[in-house]
Amino acid sequence: MRRELPAALDRAMALRFLGAAGWQPDPRTAALLDRAEQQVRGAAVPRAVWRVLPCTALPLQNTGHDLARHLQGCDEVLLLAATLGSGVDALLRRLELTDIALAACADALASAMLEQICDAWETEQRAALAAQGRYLTGRFAPGYGDCPLALNDELCLAVDSVRGCGLAVTPQYLLAPRKSTTALLGVAGHPVTGAAAGCATCHLKQTCAYRKQGTTCFAKTT
Amino acid sequence: MRIEEVWARRRFVFMDGAMGTELQKRGLQPGQKPELAALEMPQTLTAIHAEYAAAGAELLLANTFGANARKLAGSGHTVAEVVAASIACAKQAAAPCGALVGLDIGPLGELLAPAGTLPFADACAAFAEIVRVGAAAGADFVFIETMTDLYELKAAVLAAKENSALPVFTSMSFEANGRTFTGCTVESYAVTAAGLGADAVGINCSLGPQEILPFAQRLCRTVPAGVPVFVKPNAGLPNLDGSYDLTAEDFARQMQAYAATGVSMLGGCCGTTPAYIAALRAAFAAQTPAQKIPLRRSCLCTPVRFVEVDGITVVGERINPTGKKRLQQALREGDSAYPCAQAVAQAEAGAEVLDVNAGLPGIDEAAVLERLVCELQAVTDLPLQLDSSDPAALARALRVYNGKPIVNSVNGEPKTLDAILPLCKKYGAAVVGLTLDEHGIPDDAEGRLAIARRIVAATDAAGIPREDVYIDCLTLTASAQQEGAAQTLQALTRCKRELGVRTVLGVSNISFGLPCRSYLNTTFLTMAMVAGLDLAIMNPNTPEMMAAVRAYRVLTAQDPQSAAYVQAYANVQLQTQAVAAAPAAPQGAPSGDALFEAVRRGLQDEARAAAETALRTQEPLAVVNTSLIPALDAVGDGFEKGTVFLPQLLQAATAAQAAFEAVKAAIAAQGQPGGAGKGKIVLATVQGDVHDIGKNIVRVILENYGYDVLDLGRDVPPERVVEAVRATGAKLVGLSALMTTTVPNMKATIDVLREAGLPCQVWVGGAVLTPAYAKQIGADFYCKDAKASADLAKAILG
Repeated sequence: MRRELPAALDRAMALRFLGAAGWQPDPRTAALLDRAEQQVRGAAVPRAVWRVLPCTALPLQNTGHDLARHLQGCDEVLLLAATLGSGVDALLRRLELTDIALAACADALASAMLEQICDAWETEQRAALAAQGRYLTGRFAPGYGDCPLALNDELCLAVDSVRGCGLAVTPQYLLAPRKSTTALLGVAGHPVTGAAAGCATCHLKQTCAYRKQGTTCFAKTT
Repeated sequence: MRIEEVWARRRFVFMDGAMGTELQKRGLQPGQKPELAALEMPQTLTAIHAEYAAAGAELLLANTFGANARKLAGSGHTVAEVVAASIACAKQAAAPCGALVGLDIGPLGELLAPAGTLPFADACAAFAEIVRVGAAAGADFVFIETMTDLYELKAAVLAAKENSALPVFTSMSFEANGRTFTGCTVESYAVTAAGLGADAVGINCSLGPQEILPFAQRLCRTVPAGVPVFVKPNAGLPNLDGSYDLTAEDFARQMQAYAATGVSMLGGCCGTTPAYIAALRAAFAAQTPAQKIPLRRSCLCTPVRFVEVDGITVVGERINPTGKKRLQQALREGDSAYPCAQAVAQAEAGAEVLDVNAGLPGIDEAAVLERLVCELQAVTDLPLQLDSSDPAALARALRVYNGKPIVNSVNGEPKTLDAILPLCKKYGAAVVGLTLDEHGIPDDAEGRLAIARRIVAATDAAGIPREDVYIDCLTLTASAQQEGAAQTLQALTRCKRELGVRTVLGVSNISFGLPCRSYLNTTFLTMAMVAGLDLAIMNPNTPEMMAAVRAYRVLTAQDPQSAAYVQAYANVQLQTQAVAAAPAAPQGAPSGDALFEAVRRGLQDEARAAAETALRTQEPLAVVNTSLIPALDAVGDGFEKGTVFLPQLLQAATAAQAAFEAVKAAIAAQGQPGGAGKGKIVLATVQGDVHDIGKNIVRVILENYGYDVLDLGRDVPPERVVEAVRATGAKLVGLSALMTTTVPNMKATIDVLREAGLPCQVWVGGAVLTPAYAKQIGADFYCKDAKASADLAKAILG
């Protein structure tokens, strides 16, 4: 299903992805980001598919403690697969050859766009569920904490992401196109918050730049 | 019915409707694989087929949509088992009504490279397995459907044609914007599928009858005569609960509009049931399909770009190693970045097709051309002109090309016609015919026309339509044969008029050996355009020649409101002074500082200009060592300290790249090949991984420092890294991987490098790597970013 492009891309988030959180870009970089945004907007065709299933319908036995903690107390799970489409991949491949600065900005802005699209979708879902007296956790993706990327296969099969939005999983469980994401959200009849995977089981805990600065990647730093 | 009735088009032929939703209604559980229905619920499956046949469906699709090795993995059943059982159910239901049974083939569920990592040949092999067992099980035709990637469709059609004698139907799914998920247009689909020999072409799924109608009309205008067109729409658009909004009667009513389009086969997809097919049959049984009147147009395409050759069309000539040292080196080493950047630059300059030539003594042309085609089509959406006279190279390139290409070339020699035209026919390519033969190039127009006639007789005999034949009357060098130009143009005009073909010329040949070549090229190009030239093979980076093309389009009313011309030139100030009279840059300017500053501040144009100024007074390597590298170091230090941010670092890198181009030109002018010569580095993103922006950043920074980087790209098999290191003697190899699941391939690459006993050191980088992890997989070093990589290179290579 087609999703709307965000009215404006979240520059603060894109700068965070560029390792420049909180930085006020100089005029030349701001102009570069403007150009990158224009190109990303031109290339993106965002689509998403989702489906609610009973928690028991997915093989969630061997998917780690972090996801289990996230879904604790939930009887259903809302699965999401979303992508900006293959046009953004093609744009990034082209820019990486000709202008690496523009390419890096476009890459970060595309990631920000995907986050914003997922945020907007989550807000809609939360409201729709609230109308039924149901509650939703935040988004949790395969690869977070100790949750294996292999779960992408089952998840994408369950929502039929190839047919529904052109998103497929590679044999190494990467998503293709590149600017795509999957997520699991718990659904319950009582308020739930879920649990972020945290740093303890994260692959990057030794090298994480956020941790060195005393913060985390999931803290809101805008 | 007999399958021949499909091609006769004397009446409408009816196809079946949805299968998945029918199975769900009759007990298929969520999580249960629908493709196993023939084994797990055969009676139900046969009953559904029988209901469709009773409703009037004459072409039934067996329940084999997802019966491929990937989707059946872990099910405990083989493709052969599932396909045979599914076809048996359909045949059992079809027999009483005389319906025919199709082997249904859906997408494999994995994306082909470059979007994903599935190689084209593996996709062909996966489809071939299904086709072989389907044909053996008695299918009457092959039905390839719900495709959204033209490349995957091509793999399936080739597999079907090469592994069975069955008729092949193809069907893609389009979104409301008239494109598939991967951006494929209706026209690109139509010409590519028909070119590959599809026996019927159609559209299914995704939308309802009303939404598909305009796309079906476009399909009917593009699919050639003799190839019927079909539609299988959904029952309208989906409601929130997953049901569809059209009833059987609404569906049949909306389908009425197809009676006048030329479509001759009708069925349904998601949300339709036997009742929908019965309603269709009742509505259409008494009608006959309208005449399908396709346009006969010359065209080339990629999935997203359909180029109609109607008027002058620019073919970029730069990807041809003849006389180009840098490209020769890149082709020998397997460096993809350089030719790909040439492709992008030509596209930006206005090329509409790109010529691709890999003919170089001492290389495996077939392997290189094939790889080049794959790499180019990942970064450009322009159609390619496959430029080779080697049938083996053309066969491999044609096979992996995604869309409809043009082959350059055959000539009047029977030997080349016999070897190459069948390849063009098999892969649906257009072809260039050179008006020369074993006796050489005839001097006069009459002689060349005679050869053109022979070529056209051969293309006619091979079944290649005239609109796909481009005759090259051959540009001779004016410095040697001044009278030749007139003969070439005369022959061109006559070929076009008398043979109904398109024409092509390599324009720049005219000026060899004379100064200011662009004057001659532009004038000859203009004369040729007036004479009727269709494809101009030229350098689109020559502003005068592109100006002539754009101006010609204005003056022949092919550029409505001069819009394209205005867009190209509204902000251009013409240089009125001759180049030689341009004021020289002030001598003795503080050029080193200017370059340092320009790079530090990330100013591309200023950096290039400052480098050019500095090079007037300093040796190239001195410019690199005293200005460029200190500037990069300053920016790099700032980056490390956190006072310079990545976008700034990269802007400085791009400015340094521009300066480096000037330095390399100066070195080349001094006649020293081999660049700045700081040592060779091989880079690759490992097999299975497609995330390579980090590796690309590292490449740019290393090149900035004067290292000779061979970038093998992404999803690179370990053996290719070994080959490259062996061939170049590189002492340093950089590998990147983004995810935990691709790090094992990094280890595998390091292992084979060690086994090969190559004296190189390996550093690794990527999001999930750490110093400890790097050590564990056998790497010599870990670098956290591009700056650290440059520091490492300095330490190892100097």
